[in-house]
Amino acid sequence: MLKVLIPTIMLFPTIWLTSPKWLWTTTTAHSLLIASISLTWLKWTSETGWTSSNMYLATDPLSTPLLVLTCWLLPLMILASQNHINPEPISRQRLYITLLASLQTFLIMAFGATEIIMFYIMFEATLIPTLIIITRWGNQTERLNAGTYFLFYTLAGSLPLLVALLLLQQSTGTLSMLVLQYSQPLQLNSWGHMFWWAGCLIAFLVKMPLYGVHLWLPKAHVEAPVAGSMVLAAVLLKLGGYGMMRMMVMLDPLSKELAYPFIILALWGIIMTGSICLRQTDLKSLIAYSSVSHMGLVAGGILIQTPWGFSGAIILMIAHGLVSSALFCLANTAYERTHSRTMILARGLQVIFPLTAVWWFIANLANLALPPLPNLMGELMIITTLFNWSPWTILLTGLGTLITAGYSLYMFLMSQRGPTPNHIMGLQPFHTREHLLMTLHLIPVILLVTKPELMWGWCY
Amino acid sequence: MATYKEASLATRPKTLDPAEYFNLSPDYRRAEEKRAALRAQLKRQYLQQLNNPHRKELIEDPALTRWTYARTNNNYFRPTAKTSLIGGLFGVLPLFALYLVFKTDRVS
Repeated sequence: MLKVLIPTIMLFPTIWLTSPKWLWTTTTAHSLLIASISLTWLKWTSETGWTSSNMYLATDPLSTPLLVLTCWLLPLMILASQNHINPEPISRQRLYITLLASLQTFLIMAFGATEIIMFYIMFEATLIPTLIIITRWGNQTERLNAGTYFLFYTLAGSLPLLVALLLLQQSTGTLSMLVLQYSQPLQLNSWGHMFWWAGCLIAFLVKMPLYGVHLWLPKAHVEAPVAGSMVLAAVLLKLGGYGMMRMMVMLDPLSKELAYPFIILALWGIIMTGSICLRQTDLKSLIAYSSVSHMGLVAGGILIQTPWGFSGAIILMIAHGLVSSALFCLANTAYERTHSRTMILARGLQVIFPLTAVWWFIANLANLALPPLPNLMGELMIITTLFNWSPWTILLTGLGTLITAGYSLYMFLMSQRGPTPNHIMGLQPFHTREHLLMTLHLIPVILLVTKPELMWGWCY
Repeated sequence: MATYKEASLATRPKTLDPAEYFNLSPDYRRAEEKRAALRAQLKRQYLQQLNNPHRKELIEDPALTRWTYARTNNNYFRPTAKTSLIGGLFGVLPLFALYLVFKTDRVS
């Protein structure tokens, strides 16, 4: 664990001491090196659940795919930001990359934490660099509103979590995940216990987000610059899912009754947010609502608490992280050329940018869960376990899959097919950097088809 | 209004057609000429921008800006009886209905 954490911390001196000519090259190379070291975590050697541990940090089959995703995403974020940050003065560029690197450090410590209170502190700590990125480097005036919604929704959800964790510490004497997984099931039978149950989960449900409390997500995703959108969609949403999976271990047997409203909200949210996607005019807003839709499936899978549900949730989280980030990068390429996010403006791009049309095609096919990509595998496992939970859910999830296919194809056809607007000139050709960015996003998704054991979690 | 001449790239509106002159009041004719002049100026501005060989950026369309603003910001939503009914029917009722469906299905 330290062999990744210490190089990530050493990224800060790298950023501030490199000469301006080499800044982007060295930071990208350094973060790619960290990403390749993080791939060594994928090798399972230990018999117990947790490997590569010291006293406070450890990895296990649940956190390893998310950690590798986080480390993989940093060089991609730096690659994506290179163009729009370039006009700014050097110290501001360094500050931007410092914020991305600090986010990375907090996320590694969050996913690797063994004490739940450390996870909580890092969970809160990731809010600050993200808030600074959204409100300082966003492009429209609505970014202030977006930052406020993002911060206060998450904070309001996580304050009950702090109280719940302190109560848990007092009753069981420990908050270490290594110990709590073996503790006796708690007797949960009073109203106070129900509030405690809700307090444990609301923070993660807001972060996921669940349908009723999802309002911060479209605002934050749309107003953030590309690196902010990438890290929000790919990793920060998964913090919510990961936290929920960790906390569910201790929350039986009350979860059987209390999970109903949240499962229903998640399932209905898939359909509602999918339908909203079909009416969007703003490209990034469409991708943001599709994130809510997919995360609704993940939330449903986790709340059911079956092995297939958990496995399906992790697979869908990893696959959705990569694909959603890829879609945001593509949307950013259109934005950098036309300075507008309106979909009907950047139309008919297939005739102008044929190779990019291939990336749009693959990313949209992955989004609509085409077999054999892991998006489908995750969705299928969650849909199956929901069917087992109650056969009526197939109506909702089936309709949701249909609507997902609808808006993904809509996104592809709107941006690639159709008449090219004839008053648009001067669209820069696609940079090699942008093609590299897209391949680095989409190749892992395709490779994961061949070895899904990396993502399955404990259950196989 | 025999002295009216349209802009070189515009078309003559029907109401300024000399064959129609005798039906119309002078005020109406003056208003139509002013509107035709404005349209011609706008079209000229657009064509100048379109055919400018040194232009690199997008031509800004204020109608598009207004349309996207109207579509994305929900300033035009007002809670009336109809919108509350739709909101309740699609947003509140399904939650309770689904709860009943799942509960009876799982308990039985």
